[in-house]
Amino acid sequence: MKKRTLQRGLSGFWWLTLVFLYLPLAVVVFFSFNAANSAARFTGFSLRWYERLLGNEQIISAFWNSMVLAIVSSVLALVIGCLIGYGMYRHRHRKLGWLIVLIYLPIVLPDIVFGISEMAFFVSIHRYTGLLQPGLLTMIISHVTFQIPFVALIVYSRLVGLDPTLFEAAKDLYATPFKRAWHFLLPTIKPALISAFFLSFTLSIDDFVISFFTSGPESATLPIYIWGAIKKGVTPEINAIAALMIGAVAIAALMSLLFNRQGQR
Amino acid sequence: MSHPTTVAKTADQGETEKSRSNSTRQSSERERREPSSIELKGLHKRFGKDTVALDDVDLTIEAGEFFTLLGPSGCGKTTLLRMLAGLEEPDAGHVCIGGQDVTDIPPHKRSVNTVFQSYALFPHLSVRDNLAFGLRMRGESKTEQRRKVDEVAEFIQLGSLVDRPVDQLSGGQRQRIALARALICEPNVLLLDEPLSALDAGLRGQLQVELQRIQKRLGMTFVFVTHDQAEAMVMSDRIAVLDGGIIQQVGSPSEVYEHPRNAFVARFMGHDNLYAIHASGDDWVDTELGRLRLDPAEQREEQDGWLLIRPETLELNAENLNAENPENYNQLQGKVMERLYRGSHVEYRLEVEGVTMMATASNVGQRLLNVGDKVTVGVCPDDLVRVAS
Repeated sequence: MKKRTLQRGLSGFWWLTLVFLYLPLAVVVFFSFNAANSAARFTGFSLRWYERLLGNEQIISAFWNSMVLAIVSSVLALVIGCLIGYGMYRHRHRKLGWLIVLIYLPIVLPDIVFGISEMAFFVSIHRYTGLLQPGLLTMIISHVTFQIPFVALIVYSRLVGLDPTLFEAAKDLYATPFKRAWHFLLPTIKPALISAFFLSFTLSIDDFVISFFTSGPESATLPIYIWGAIKKGVTPEINAIAALMIGAVAIAALMSLLFNRQGQR
Repeated sequence: MSHPTTVAKTADQGETEKSRSNSTRQSSERERREPSSIELKGLHKRFGKDTVALDDVDLTIEAGEFFTLLGPSGCGKTTLLRMLAGLEEPDAGHVCIGGQDVTDIPPHKRSVNTVFQSYALFPHLSVRDNLAFGLRMRGESKTEQRRKVDEVAEFIQLGSLVDRPVDQLSGGQRQRIALARALICEPNVLLLDEPLSALDAGLRGQLQVELQRIQKRLGMTFVFVTHDQAEAMVMSDRIAVLDGGIIQQVGSPSEVYEHPRNAFVARFMGHDNLYAIHASGDDWVDTELGRLRLDPAEQREEQDGWLLIRPETLELNAENLNAENPENYNQLQGKVMERLYRGSHVEYRLEVEGVTMMATASNVGQRLLNVGDKVTVGVCPDDLVRVAS
């Protein structure tokens, strides 16, 4: 009897957690369909805020900035992170603990510290060389920097999960180093790579703090636009952007999870 | 060398000729490679500072031979096999395959294939693509790949397995696929790294016979690694027993079993009845069992060491022990301490002169002895073997 009560309590706690996690999101999505101009009461279903979004050039440009940033940075991070993950795997028997800590540090570093240091770095480079003016390029560089550890970690853990004799079997079956990479290594870790790509994509779309410090006047992304817009108050238009972003990120995260699971099967 | 080897060789030559006449009909096996001999000279390998994996190993393996590297784990047998594959580089010494020094040649350029202990089938490929992998890497045409896959599938009797995904195969099926994947490349030498150790006993016995049959049919050089001495004896033309990175003995299964060169080999081949020799003459030795006569022809250079009495050579309570010259026959008095009934034979643990002795008797028409029975143990002088320490 006691056990049953405890189980009920735990399950209630679980539901409560879900409510705190998802109710605010649900409210935002709900009010994005509000016909009225205020977030105070719901007057009827309408798609007018979504239509307004399409007409807003600033939002469209912020959307494209976000997409270009997310895709380009994810692709670059995938290539570099994959190489690092493979390198960590190849040299896993050597004592490289300090190096690995260095690679993982950006994961635990507060975004604000990371963002400020990136900004200071870019600004001083710009001052002395005239290169790297704050803009999309500096944002891409800083996004790649914080995405790399995630990609490396995913690739590394997939490789560690493989039977090490597979590499030897490929050598034994006449595969040259290049053919080993192309016909064995890449196809084997493909699910991990796709998963890592979607994770990087999500991280990039999500990011506000680092983007905020490294962006230029022309390169505002959606989160930066929202930040600027809500200074004038939360409009249903913001709700609509937020709803779309929730949808996009959920899909990307789901894809990442799906491919990661497929890889581990 | 020994009898069994030469017999086996003439037999497999006959087989090769048969398969050759087949191949003219099929025109497919015409490029079948000749098996290669292997020569290892002064191989050294060290892992870290203290672990010596191989210590000055010299070994010659004949072309077309089923050769087994036998020893406990950590004896260096797997390291030796990996050096043949090119997966491990020796610190010193040379590896020659088919008369060519391949010490510095990487694995993907050696005409040697391996069946790995874990099978190492590629999880992202179907069975068919796994089989064709080596051919594809060598750049053979699609039609050639397809033809060879079908051919090997028939040879190893894979049947419908070829079109199944790898993760739906059982252990035994994976084993066969791994073997087929290596054989399809028609290597000069096939290396097998404990390929049967993950299988249950029944399947294992079946595959032992099958592997041996395949080797004889193809006439290929097989180098087989195992820690199981029974498996080694069943399958091999010759066995090398390794310990501590040193080859302790090389010989046919019967040589190694009946005349182990030292106490390690004797113990590893499953012999328990080893008795320290205190003193010895031309035809006698003194041990804990007392003085025993032995055949002067059995003399070895080492005078001291161990006396080996194989359990199956003992005669228990026999009526007419070597009627011709009974005074030469060793007779000991003992007592049955334990009986292990094995069906086809019975094992007894005896106590003779205060020391333990194992005896096996075949289970035919004899009354079984009971625990506590007094027993006369007859030991024929011809069956006593001296073993170095």
